[in-house]
Formats: sequence, C-alpha cells, structure tokens
Amino acid sequence: MSEYQYILKTEHLGKSFGSLEVLKDVNLEVKKGEVICIIGPSGAGKSTYLRSLNQLEKITSGKIYLKDELFLHREHNRTVHKSTPEKQKAMLLEMGMVFQRFNLFPHKTVLENVMLAPTLVRKKTKAEAKALSIKLIERVGLSSKLNEYPSKLSGGQQQRVAIARALAMEPEIMLFDEPTSALDPELVGEVLNVMKDLAKQGMTMLCVTHEMGFAKEVADRVVFMADGMILEEGAPKELFEHPKNEKAANFLKSVL
Amino acid sequence: MNIIKKAVRIKEWQRSSKIAAIVIIVIIAVFIGLSLLQLSEEEMMNYASDDVKQMIEEERDSTRKHLTITYNDLGVISYLSFTTSGAAAIKESYVCFLGQVYKADEGAGKLTGQMVNYTYRMLGKGENVLHGVKLTLLLTTASVLIGFIFSIFLALGKIAKNKIISKICSAYIFFFRGTPLLIQLFVVYFSIPGIFGFAWRDLFDTADTEAVYKGAFVAALIAFSLNTAAYCAEIVRAAIQSIDKGQHEAAKALGMSYAQTMSQIVIPQSIRRMIPPLCNEFVMMIKDVSLVFAISLMDITTISKNIMTSEGSYLVFIPALIIYLIITAIFTYIFNKIEIRLSVYE
Repeated sequence: MSEYQYILKTEHLGKSFGSLEVLKDVNLEVKKGEVICIIGPSGAGKSTYLRSLNQLEKITSGKIYLKDELFLHREHNRTVHKSTPEKQKAMLLEMGMVFQRFNLFPHKTVLENVMLAPTLVRKKTKAEAKALSIKLIERVGLSSKLNEYPSKLSGGQQQRVAIARALAMEPEIMLFDEPTSALDPELVGEVLNVMKDLAKQGMTMLCVTHEMGFAKEVADRVVFMADGMILEEGAPKELFEHPKNEKAANFLKSVL
Repeated sequence: MNIIKKAVRIKEWQRSSKIAAIVIIVIIAVFIGLSLLQLSEEEMMNYASDDVKQMIEEERDSTRKHLTITYNDLGVISYLSFTTSGAAAIKESYVCFLGQVYKADEGAGKLTGQMVNYTYRMLGKGENVLHGVKLTLLLTTASVLIGFIFSIFLALGKIAKNKIISKICSAYIFFFRGTPLLIQLFVVYFSIPGIFGFAWRDLFDTADTEAVYKGAFVAALIAFSLNTAAYCAEIVRAAIQSIDKGQHEAAKALGMSYAQTMSQIVIPQSIRRMIPPLCNEFVMMIKDVSLVFAISLMDITTISKNIMTSEGSYLVFIPALIIYLIITAIFTYIFNKIEIRLSVYE
C-alpha cells in the first residue's frame, strides 16, 4: 500500500470572515483513492472548506496534513507552522480544482486552456504538454473542439474542459466545488459521467455536490456538513437511509 | 507573419475592410491622377507678369533678393506667389488646379490660395519632423506609447498588496491627474532645468539652429508621457480589476504564480477592455499636444496662431480644425479595428 495513512487530513479547521464564523471545527480524514461527497444546506461552509484546502481561502485556525505531513498550522489567524515555499507549491499541485462557474480562460482555445499550466508550472515542453492535453481532452470526449474558444461551448462541455485542465497538472486529489450547479439539467449527466470515470480509475476525489444520485452511486463516503461542522459521515447507503443526526434527516427529507 | 498571410487572402476579408480598402485605393488613384495634371514650378513661373519675370532675371545672380517666391505644392493643388517688400510692392499669386492656372490676388482665388498656403505650412511640408502635423503625430504616439507601458507598472503597483508601493503609485496618479497639464509642461520645460542648472537645448549640438526645438521636444515628450501614464494607469487598473475573480482563482489553483497569472491570463483579457478608453485618451492627447504652443514648438496650433498674428487671417483656423478632425478620424478607425480583432473569442 502507500507509504502514508491519509492523503489528506484536517484537524479543527476554522475560518471566519470578520465576525462571521463559516467553518467552526472541521475534522476529516481522506484515504488515497477515496471518493467523498460533501452535502449539506447552503451556507454550511462546504465550498469554503474545499477552497481552504487549496489555499484559495486562508484558514483562521486548524491543521492541514497532506500525506501525513503537516502542511499548514494556523491558530487565531496566525501561522504557527508552514512548510517551505517549494514544498508548499509542490503540495498544492497535488490538488486539482474544478469550479462551479468553470473559470476557463476565455481568450485561449480548449487546447491552450489545458496546455497552459503544464508548460508554465510543470515546465513540460510544448510537445509533451500538447500530447498530454490531447489525451485528456479525448478522455472527456471533446476531441472535436480542440481549437474552439470556450464561449463556443455549452456549459457541460466547458466544465469537462475544466476537468481536463485540472487533470493536466496530474494531481492526486481532485476537488470539485459544485461542478454541476451552474449547468442546465440536461447537461449535468455528461459532467457526472466524466467524474464517475475518474472515480473508477482510482482518483481521490472530494466533491461538494447537490447531486444525491451521484453521491449514492459513486461516493465511498458521504459527509454531511451544516453550520461549519461535519455533523455526520458514513457510507452513502447508511447515511441516506438512516441518518442519525436530526439536521441531516431534515435536509435529506427536503432534497430527496 | 500571420497578419501578412491574412492580408493576402482578400476573399476572406470582412465587408467593411473591403470597402475601406477600395475607398483608400480610389482616393490614392484620384490623387495620383490629379497630380499628374499639375504644372511644375517652372511652368507656373511662365504665368507671372512681365515685371516679375524681369525682376527674377535681374536678381538671378545677386545674393540680396527683394523678391520672395513662395511655391506650395499639395499634390492636387499648388500655390505660387511673388512678393516684395518696400515702396513699389509687388504682390502676385497664382493657384494651379487640374492643370489650369488661376490668378489668386482677390476674391475666391485669393482665399483658395491662402488656404493652400496655410495647409501647406501646417502640414509642415518642406520642414523636418519637428513641424506641423508631423510633430503632433510624433509627440502624441510617442508619449502615449511610453506612457502606456509605464502605466501598466503604475496600475499593477496601485493594486499591489505592498502598501508602500501602492501608496506611491496612487500618489503619482493623483498628482498628475490633479494638476493642469500645461503647468506640468512648464515645470518640466522651465523649472527642472532651472533647478538643476541646465538647458534642454544643451542636450543637442547648440550650433544647430534646431537645438532649441529638439530640446523643447524632449521636454514635451517627458511631460506628456508622465501625464498620460497617470490617466492610462487608471484605465489599465479598471480593466484589470474588471476581470472575474474566478480567473485569478483558476490560475492559482493550477499553481501559476502572480506574474504568470497577470501576464498570461489577466492582462491579455483586459487589453480588449482597455481599447475604447485608450482610444479616448489618445484622441485627448492629440488635442492636448497643442499645448506645446506655450513652449514655442511648431505644431499645428502654433503655426496657425502665428499665421493669424502675422497675416491677420482669421480663416486660418478652418484648415487647422479639418486637419485635426482627419487625424482623429483615422485613429478612431484604427482603434475600432484593433478592438474587433481582439474580440474574436467573445
């Protein structure tokens, strides 16, 4: 097996925007290859949690471990421990992120969108990056759109390009921040299919999602978050059918 | 290279480009056609009165000439005049158009002749680049170009997280937008040499009669560049900040550095949004450059004002306005084209 126990672990993660406490105390352990779906009512801090893993938000307090190594430790908005900048960068590159609003680069074609970061950040040659990108774009089923600009694509296609773009950095963990929430209902399926494929191939995934069907089918574990805390976690079947927490029960009743 | 390749494929041009190309070609063709009909200076001389001819003959070899001959060729129309100062003043002028020579001493002929003469002088024909339209264009493009490049750093500085850099850049922008351009020009032209004990013309060989103009040009270029940088910086800053936050986040999530994010993602996207306000700034600059009349650089405005004072001709400003209008129209067209070209992905 792997040389580490957990690929990602957070302890007592807290995040406040001013006086608003979005994350109170989030503890989560993720093993390599696990698919975890995070569900919960809006305002629960699901997205903020995902974003703070990727350093898009600076956490107020708590510890983040990557591969059992302390990556960041902050208390009362002060950094207690931080790995070296080189290590930080390398570790952040282990995480790919897919956004709700795709955030493709509109002035670059599909191929350029996917190629850009591998050439700039991973310092691959143009040819290497191109070969890799074409392979990934094929994997998300968009080979025919290589030279289109994102504005010419449907939402579902754009999100698939965004997934390919994140995969091009060859991350070990993929973070999905409500990847299907901005899509028309008929386009949701194609994005979920790509994500299912990814899960099958053993990618470690953290998905914030409102697609309960997807969570039930694909997730190894479902995490219910509310009020900045994880209130319940467990196998999807158990959590969906016999939620122990009252809030989780209410939430599931309203969405299922 | 791509631009050249595209330009060769005429069939794929846009309709508006084709029309513009045809209009330009027709204008050039008409211009060349008409100029073929023009008489040369010697041919026009033949139309002069006998008195004048005699005088030309007399003064051919003398070094001290009483007779002033002015010949202004604008291609399709030309103007020739003979004037003497003194008691028996001769004043004769002719206009040549479509191969015909008309007397231009009174009425409509005189007016036409004057306009040709004024336009000729304001275009700075027969003079070096520091005269007339050439000066206006050179000073405007050079200072906007320098100012724009400088403004990118100013804008990035203003939005930088470093408080000191941000404050310095903000103060710079505030200062140059908050004081009159004319006084900024005076400060650069008069005060700075005064304080540091030099003169702008010292930068050049002072035996050169043009050294004063060249020095004034450098001073004007510095003043205008510094000023337009402040205005452009606000344009650049607004354009950069108008780019969706998601673009920064996506780039950061992909591990790109701040410099990479700016140069690869944010600035390329914001350039298109800068074009309309930059065009505005450029057109403003064309007109602001007329302030150089205060440091006696010979731009369109100075020349027209000089003609007004020396000849009392109040109509001189009409060709001046038309010249400005044509320049502005051309640049507005160019900027529109750039904007369309940069919009391909939207």
